[in-house]
Amino acid sequence: MTDNPEDLRQWRLPRGRHGLPRELVERSQRERLLAAVVRVTVANGYEKTTVGDILGEAGVGRESFYELFDDKLDCMLAAHKILADDLEERVRVDYLGEGPWPERVRHSLATTLDWFAADPEAARFFLVELSTVGPAFRATFKSEYSRFTALLDEGLEEDGPDPELSGAAQMAVGAIVARIYEEVVLGRAAELRGLLPELTYGFLVPFVGEEDARGEQERARD
Amino acid sequence: MQKHRSFETSGNVLRPTTPPDIASQSQRQRIVDGMVESCAEKTYAGTTITDIVSRAHISRTTFYKHFEDKRACFDAAIDYCVGELQDVAATAHSPADPPGDAARKAATAVVGALAAKPGLAQVLTGDAMAVDPQVIERYRRATIPALEALWSENGDAPAAHTDPRLAFGQAQVLILNQIATGKPDRLLELLPEIVYLTVSPYGGHEEAVRQSREAGNSEIRGVAAR
Repeated sequence: MTDNPEDLRQWRLPRGRHGLPRELVERSQRERLLAAVVRVTVANGYEKTTVGDILGEAGVGRESFYELFDDKLDCMLAAHKILADDLEERVRVDYLGEGPWPERVRHSLATTLDWFAADPEAARFFLVELSTVGPAFRATFKSEYSRFTALLDEGLEEDGPDPELSGAAQMAVGAIVARIYEEVVLGRAAELRGLLPELTYGFLVPFVGEEDARGEQERARD
Repeated sequence: MQKHRSFETSGNVLRPTTPPDIASQSQRQRIVDGMVESCAEKTYAGTTITDIVSRAHISRTTFYKHFEDKRACFDAAIDYCVGELQDVAATAHSPADPPGDAARKAATAVVGALAAKPGLAQVLTGDAMAVDPQVIERYRRATIPALEALWSENGDAPAAHTDPRLAFGQAQVLILNQIATGKPDRLLELLPEIVYLTVSPYGGHEEAVRQSREAGNSEIRGVAAR
């Protein structure tokens, strides 16, 4: 069975609220383990989490776990990758869609904020818990940062502005990570959507200057 | 002579001429340095007390005389790193510099210091985020007022063009991303962006682009000269 980001994402949402059919929820042990590692590490912290905790949460046996993953870290990184793939896919649709570049930026920022706000637990797992895994964090952070910078560059090629700074895309991704990270740490992930105007402005200034960014910020308030 | 004898009786027989408080100070600093070095190599999560004491050439008992645990030692390491960078930034410019120039010089000096001692960058970005994300607020409080002061006139706070708190977070994420490559000397490549982020909150976008180019040019000249 493949990892379907849609299913995993729904699985991570509080059970009951969405009334998911049981067969969908329990589609595969792998999915259950991935969903469990998200919840358990957020609840206990990565260091204190044991494979046993993950098994208990997922209702999966130890043997099955080790058939699917090398260890706790491997399981955690697999869950992380699925979340990153899912986020990228959703942002890609908006960002490479129709409309002028600043508008597409605004829409993809809204999608990003909504994605994190929809599941504060997953948001915390995605941004905060990863940094506690030790040296493996570096490679993962680096590769995920690059993929979002590359996506941003891809959308700039068509009709985007020619930024005055070569590092504008890197700074823009940094703005999103830094701002969302802070809200998630402070336990305010659910209210992330309110950041859209200021984030739109902060994102756009290095590309288009303050005046044009201000215009798009105003549209983000509506 | 009386004083000398009292050292010997207090057990400091190996270094009888070093006053105990100075010996203790340097021990503490060696422990903090050991923590910073170990974080640079294997991150805070991967660091053990054994890593720290072997780098500091002290015993575990001595470690616990100075710090309650690994976390307390890390807090001291953060304070040390913040202090180092503040000193570097403060001495990099003179009161005669226009604010944009002063900010560029301070940012350039800080990036240089981070590249020269990557442990500082690791402690202040990746590890600080992992151990206590809210610590970021602690050193943001230490840096943003200094920046604001450069543009203040007659004690009036300057108007912000962009959010300085966001700029600070961006700089931190960029540095984190760069050290994630495992090549800390490449931190110098970030100079144009860090200068931009330092100047833009109070100097505005146009001035920040100008200062960023200036920093990029001087960096290129610096590389060519080597």
